[in-house]
Amino acid sequence: MASLLTDRTSRAVNTYTYTSRPRALPCQRRRYRDNFLQPEEEPMRYGNIMYDRRVIRGNTYALQTGQLPGQPDPLELQRQQQAKRRALARKRAQEQLRPRTPEPVEGRKHMDVQTELYLEEIADRIIEVDMECQTDAFLDRPSTPLFIPAKTGKDVDTQILEGELFNFDLEVKPMLDVLVGKTIEQSLLEVMEEEELANLQAMQYAYEEIQNIELAEVQRLEEQERRHREEKERRKHQQWEIVNKHKETSQKIAARAFAQRYLADLLPSVFSSLRDSGYFYDPIERDIEIGFLPWLMNEVEKTMEYSMVGRTVLDMLIREVVEKRLSMYENKEDKHQSLRPEDEHGGPGAMRDQPVSYDFQEQSLSHTQRPLLDRDDLPRMSYDGRPSQERKYMEEGELLGQSEETAIRKSLGKEELQ
Amino acid sequence: MDVTTAPHRIPAEMPQYGEANHIFELMQNMLEQLLIHQPEDPIPFMIKHLRRDNDNVPKIVILGPPASGKTTIAMWLCKHLNSNLVSKENLVVRELSFLTAEARKHYQRTKTVPSTLLVQLIEERLAEEDCVKRGWILDSIPETREQALMIQSRGVIPRHVIVLSALDTVLIERNLGKRVDPQTGEIYHTTFDWPPESDTQNRLVVPGGISEMETARKLLEYHRNIVGIIPSYPKILKVISADQPCVDVFYQALTYVQTHHRSNAPFTPRVLLCGPTGSGKSLQAALLAQKYGLVNVCCGQLLKEAVAGKTQFGELIQPFFEKEMAVPDSLVVKVLSQRLDQQDSIQKGWVLHGFPRDLDQAHMLNSLGYDPNRVFFLNVPLDSIIERLTLRRIDPVTGERYHLLYKPPPTVEIQARLLQNPKDSEEQVKLKVDLFYRNSADLEQFYRRAVTLNGDQDPYTVFEYVESGIINPLPKKIP
Repeated sequence: MASLLTDRTSRAVNTYTYTSRPRALPCQRRRYRDNFLQPEEEPMRYGNIMYDRRVIRGNTYALQTGQLPGQPDPLELQRQQQAKRRALARKRAQEQLRPRTPEPVEGRKHMDVQTELYLEEIADRIIEVDMECQTDAFLDRPSTPLFIPAKTGKDVDTQILEGELFNFDLEVKPMLDVLVGKTIEQSLLEVMEEEELANLQAMQYAYEEIQNIELAEVQRLEEQERRHREEKERRKHQQWEIVNKHKETSQKIAARAFAQRYLADLLPSVFSSLRDSGYFYDPIERDIEIGFLPWLMNEVEKTMEYSMVGRTVLDMLIREVVEKRLSMYENKEDKHQSLRPEDEHGGPGAMRDQPVSYDFQEQSLSHTQRPLLDRDDLPRMSYDGRPSQERKYMEEGELLGQSEETAIRKSLGKEELQ
Repeated sequence: MDVTTAPHRIPAEMPQYGEANHIFELMQNMLEQLLIHQPEDPIPFMIKHLRRDNDNVPKIVILGPPASGKTTIAMWLCKHLNSNLVSKENLVVRELSFLTAEARKHYQRTKTVPSTLLVQLIEERLAEEDCVKRGWILDSIPETREQALMIQSRGVIPRHVIVLSALDTVLIERNLGKRVDPQTGEIYHTTFDWPPESDTQNRLVVPGGISEMETARKLLEYHRNIVGIIPSYPKILKVISADQPCVDVFYQALTYVQTHHRSNAPFTPRVLLCGPTGSGKSLQAALLAQKYGLVNVCCGQLLKEAVAGKTQFGELIQPFFEKEMAVPDSLVVKVLSQRLDQQDSIQKGWVLHGFPRDLDQAHMLNSLGYDPNRVFFLNVPLDSIIERLTLRRIDPVTGERYHLLYKPPPTVEIQARLLQNPKDSEEQVKLKVDLFYRNSADLEQFYRRAVTLNGDQDPYTVFEYVESGIINPLPKKIP
C-alpha cells in the first residue's frame, strides 16, 4: 500500500518533501580489502539498525546511568577496548607484510579485470587419448580396362531439332509478303509522294499566284500610299511654306509698320535738332548779323570818328590860338603876372570832359587806341578813370603837333581795314 | 483679305528692342550726319558712320571767364572720360597743315588767332581719328559769337556746353593766385589747388597777365562776347557756379555731361513701383494712370478681381484667400501675364505695383519678357508709414475713408463711430514692412538702374519726381 502510494505519488508528482531524505543504509559487510591508506573517518558503514548497538533499546524516559548488565564496567571496557585495539594493530601490521599488487608504474594505472572465462587450470598431468585403426582385406585384381587413347580434337555436335530445317515455301512466305508488301508500300508511298508533290506544287503555284496578286495589290497599295504620303508631304510643305511666308510677311509688315511709327517723328526731330544746334539757320538773320550789322557798326564808328577828328582838330586850333596868345601875352606881360594862362588852360580841359566820353573811348578802343598805344605804351583805362582822362588829355596835348597827321593816318588806316 | 490688310499685332519685342538699343537716336544721328555732309554715295557713308559707332563719345564745350577754372575742369574731364582736349594753344602747337605755320606766327605776335583760321584748325583737328573715336572737349572755344556761328555752320555740334560763372571780384582775386607748371602745363592755385608733390611746387611759375588790370580787361571782353554765344546753344547749355571748390564743380560737370538729353523717341513707359506698404505706391500709380493713360496693374487687386469674377484662375486662387495664405508665385505670374499681354497694356504701357516682392519673382517677371523700363523705389521711414496707416479710419455708415491726420472727419459724431481695419494695426504694419525690407536689398541689386525717391513728402511732389524720372532718359551709371 505504501509502495503503491509512493508509486502513485511519485508518478503523479515528482516533488516530495522530506525532513530527511531517504538514503541507502550503509552495510556492514566489507567489499574490498581494507584500505589502510584511507582515513578512518570514512562514512560509517551503515547496516541494519536493529542490530546496531548504538541504538538504545527499552525505555528512554529513565536512562540508566550505570552500565548495562550485559556490559562490563568501564574499566574493563577500557581494557577490552585497548586489547581490541592492540589486536587490530597486530592484524594491521601483519597485513602490511602481506604482498600486495605493486603500485602502478609511472604513467600507468591499474585496472580491475575479470578473467573468469579465461581461467585455465594449470596441472602437470598430461592428457591422454586412445585411438585405433584397421586395414581392409585383399581384393581380386580387376580386368585391364580397354585402352582408350586420349581424346584429341574438339568434339562438336549438332542436333537438328524439329522445325529447324529450312522449308523454303514456309520461310519464303513472310519474306515475300514483306518484300512485296514493302515494295508495294514503297511504290504507294512514292506515288503518294509524287502526288503529294504534285499537289504541293499545284498549291504552291496557286499560292504563288495568290501571292503575286497580293504582292501586286500590296505594291499598288504601297504605291498609292506613297503617292498619298508624298502628296501629303508636299501639301504640308507647301502649307508650311505658305504659313511661314505669311508669318514672315506679317512680321515684316509689323516691323515696317513699327519702324514707320517709331521713326515717324524722326525727320522733324532731326530738323529741329539741327536747327537747335545752329546748322540750319535763318539765312536772312545770319546775313544781317554777319554782313549788315558789322558794316553798320563800322559806318557808325566812322561817323563818330569824323566827329572826334573834327573835335580834335578844333582842339588843336584852339590850343594853337591859345598858345599864340599866351606867348604874345607873356611877351607883353613880362611886367605883371596873371592867372590867365591857367584859366585858359583849365578852360579847354573843361570843354573836353564831355566830348571825350567814356563810350567813345570804349568803342574806338580796339581801332584807335592800338596804334596809339603801340607807339606810346600807355597804361590801359579802367572804368571811371577821371585821373587817367586828364592824363590822356595831357598826352594828347603833347601830341598836338603830330595829332593832325595821326588823325589823318587813322582814318586812312580804318578805310584800309574796312 | 490678304496679309497687308489683315490686322496685325506688333509683337512687344520690337518696341523693347528699339528702346534698349536707342534706335531712334541712332537714326537721328545718322540722318543728321547725312544732311551735314551730303555725300555722293550715301550708303557707304552710312555704313562707315554706323561702323564708327561714336554716338556716345563726349562732345563738350567749356566756356567761362578767365580764372574760373575752365582748363582745370577740361583737363580733369579729359582724364576721366578718356577724351581729347582741344584748346587754342593745343591747336597752334600741333603740326596739322600749313595753316598752323601762319597761325603760329600770328599767335606769337599777338597772342590771338584770326577766327577763320581758328575755325579751320578746329575742323581739321576734330576730323582726326582720335577725336572721332574718343570725342573732344573744347576749352574756351568759341570765344565770340562769330566763331560760334562759323563752327556751327561747319557742322561741328557739341552735345553739352558748360558755362562757368562767378562774380567778377572773386575771379579777379582768384586769378592773382594762379600758378602754372611749365612741364605739364597744368594750372595750380596757391590757395585752392596746391600740388602735393614738392618738386612740382618748386617748378611752378607765375604766368603772365594775371594782374588785376589784365584780369579786369579780359573779364570785360568775356562779358561782351558771352552774351552773344549763349543764345547759339539754347538747349544744351548748363551754367555751373565756379564759386565753389573745384571738386564740386567737376562733379556737377561730370554728371551733366553724362546725362542724355531728352530725345523724341517714342516711349511707352513700363513702370515698376517698389516700396514698403504705406509708401504711396497705389496713389502714385493712380496719378500716373490718370495723367498718362497707363494701365494701372495692382497685383493684389488683380487677384481679388480674378476670385470675384470666378474665372479659371480665380477658382484656383480662392482656397488660398480663404486660408489667408500667400498665393503661390506661379499662379500670380499667370494672372499677371494674362493681364499684361492684353493689347491695351502693350500699347499704352503699364504701371505695376505690389509685385515682385522678392528676387525669384523678379527673375520670373524678367524671363517672361515684361521687363520694366523705369523702376522706382519709394523710401519712407517707418514712423511715417505707421503714421499714415494706423490713423486710417472708415465710417461704417457712409463708407467714407478718413485719416485722423490728413483728412479728419468733419463732425464729432462721425468720429465717434469710425472703425479701423484690423490689417492697419501697428503690429501688422510692422510685419509687412519688415517683410519688404528683407527682400529689398536683393531687388535693388537686381534692378540696377532703379531710381530711389524720398516718399516722405507731399504726394504731388513725389509725383513730380516720378514724372521727371519717367520722362528724362535714365542717367548713365558712372563706370
